[in-house]
Amino acid sequence: MNTNIIEIADLVKRYEMGHEEVFALRNVSLTLGKNEYVAIMGPSGSGKSTLMNMLGCLDTPTSGTYFFNGANVSEMDDDDLAAIRNKEIGFVFQTFNLLPRATALQNVELPLVYAGLKSEERRKRAIEAITRVGLADRMDHRPNELSGGQRQRVAIARALVTAPSIILADEPTGNLDSKTGQDIMRLFGDLWRGGNTVILVTHEEDVARHAHRIIRLRDGLIESDEINPNATSV
Amino acid sequence: MPRLSEVQESFRIAVTSLRVNLMRSILTTAGVVVGVVLVVLMGWTIGGLDAVWEKTISIIGKDMIYIDKWNWAGGGNWRMMEARKDITLEQAEALSMRMESAEETIPITRKWGGSVSVGNTSLRCSIMGTTTAYGSTSAGTTEEGRFFNEVEEREAEKVVVVGYNIKKNLFPDESPIGKYLKIAGVPYRIVGVVEKRGFLFMDFIDNQVFIPLYAFRSSFGFFDRSFSVGLKAGSERMLDIVRDEAVGHMRSIRNVPPADPDDFSINEMKAFDQQAKNIRLGIWVVGMGLTILAFIVGSIGIMNIMYVSVTERTKEIGIRKAIGARRSSILSQFLIESAMLCVAGALIAFPIAQVIVGSAQYLAVHVFEQDWASVVSPLVPFDLLGIAVGVSILVGLLAGLFPAIKASGLDPVEALRSE
Repeated sequence: MNTNIIEIADLVKRYEMGHEEVFALRNVSLTLGKNEYVAIMGPSGSGKSTLMNMLGCLDTPTSGTYFFNGANVSEMDDDDLAAIRNKEIGFVFQTFNLLPRATALQNVELPLVYAGLKSEERRKRAIEAITRVGLADRMDHRPNELSGGQRQRVAIARALVTAPSIILADEPTGNLDSKTGQDIMRLFGDLWRGGNTVILVTHEEDVARHAHRIIRLRDGLIESDEINPNATSV
Repeated sequence: MPRLSEVQESFRIAVTSLRVNLMRSILTTAGVVVGVVLVVLMGWTIGGLDAVWEKTISIIGKDMIYIDKWNWAGGGNWRMMEARKDITLEQAEALSMRMESAEETIPITRKWGGSVSVGNTSLRCSIMGTTTAYGSTSAGTTEEGRFFNEVEEREAEKVVVVGYNIKKNLFPDESPIGKYLKIAGVPYRIVGVVEKRGFLFMDFIDNQVFIPLYAFRSSFGFFDRSFSVGLKAGSERMLDIVRDEAVGHMRSIRNVPPADPDDFSINEMKAFDQQAKNIRLGIWVVGMGLTILAFIVGSIGIMNIMYVSVTERTKEIGIRKAIGARRSSILSQFLIESAMLCVAGALIAFPIAQVIVGSAQYLAVHVFEQDWASVVSPLVPFDLLGIAVGVSILVGLLAGLFPAIKASGLDPVEALRSE
């Protein structure tokens, strides 16, 4: 029985910039198991954003294979990718990326809209998720009526609401002060302890040290892939 | 296909977007508003004309056939008709003797450009000499008094039945019955007033007076005068039978050789239908041209604003795609928004059209005192609302198509990166 969620082999991503070829990822192979807590690190230009887009099924590789829960993502069309993103991946972004005109609850409901759930069922699940991140009393607020930390909690609730296979967080504390950042990292720790698989993409050591496994990228290659014995979220 | 939940979401987004950009939305729909107003005005005008026309022709009598030297509708060759021999009273009377299918056979002769006078006031009108049977047709129905009777007809008494306009102009505030007016210097006693007949371009019908045939002869003579014969079929169903019979008799009475065409014309109200159709078609062509133009301008405006909207909301599209919106979800979102803009335009246009239509009708009836306008509805017909909304939805979908395709095809990575 294979419990790997993600299996990547010889992944290459090449961009054409004018008539110059740029390799964002040269050759990356990687497996991620269930309930892992991983940080992907690297300086800008290392290819970590590209790798995140691949892992998040937002982009497809130039060559190589990507299996997600046994399904070959590298051969999927746009709608299949959209379905995988909807059901299997919960995104948390640095800039929160909430819809400004929708309430917190509506933002959390949104993935369920695209999953085709009925309104009552959506509401029920969204309230559960928003309660889990401690914002039950703020769910009728719009993003501009919430603090940065609260917005990121709404975003996390949105990521959780479909019960995805992985939570993919891109610099989740990058726009927050350090105190609020710590609160958010504590929340990710709670999610991991609750059985979720968490992938952090970051360039901050402080953030990465919460993870149990740290993968470092440089120039489109994996530089190191190590267990973090001092993980703070244990 | 987008899911039901997505369609609901699209409507929610569209409403929010319209509300947030209210002024911009209203301005954007201006072209559609004009288009819908034009569609409605055109529909209303054609409907009104039809009503006026129907009224006119039913008043004059749909069941009447007139045999005449001339073709009323102006068809045929004028010189050819000019060269025809006059229809004499003897021929009219012979036809009258032979006709079996018609309820009435009525000889009629006219003096065009005559005049009648009361005291020093005189009025131009046409004078018709006819028989008492004319009073049984819908064109001879009196609203006051009566048509002249058989005794008066036989004795060639100087009695007259006047048209509505004659009464209105010469005896505006009193009943003319029993009063006298002069025709060709001879006093005639008024016995009846014919109901208002003419509507719109058929107004001349009310400028007529009717006198007994032989009274007509003593005033104007029958020399060089062509008669026409009115045949009352009794119902529209009988028209074909009466027409066929009359043509047969007339050809024999006038000795038309078998191979020759008729040397007389058959006139029916139906003949005017073609003219009505042409007017209708004219309004329709002009109206459609303007409408299509307005909708083209309108849809360019909508398309433009939808492109702006897609650009403004690139980030939003990226977010939606990241959390699972498919191409069709985004496509339907923008199509619905665009269609809704247009429907909003139609809903703005309707009260405007109603105000225009209502005031036009009110002005025509009450200020310009056009009686014909009273048969035109002051309300925009309800089925036009449906058509206008339907057309707007179509225009919205077409105008929104390319912006929506652009939005749905955005790369989520790029879209998320935009600010």
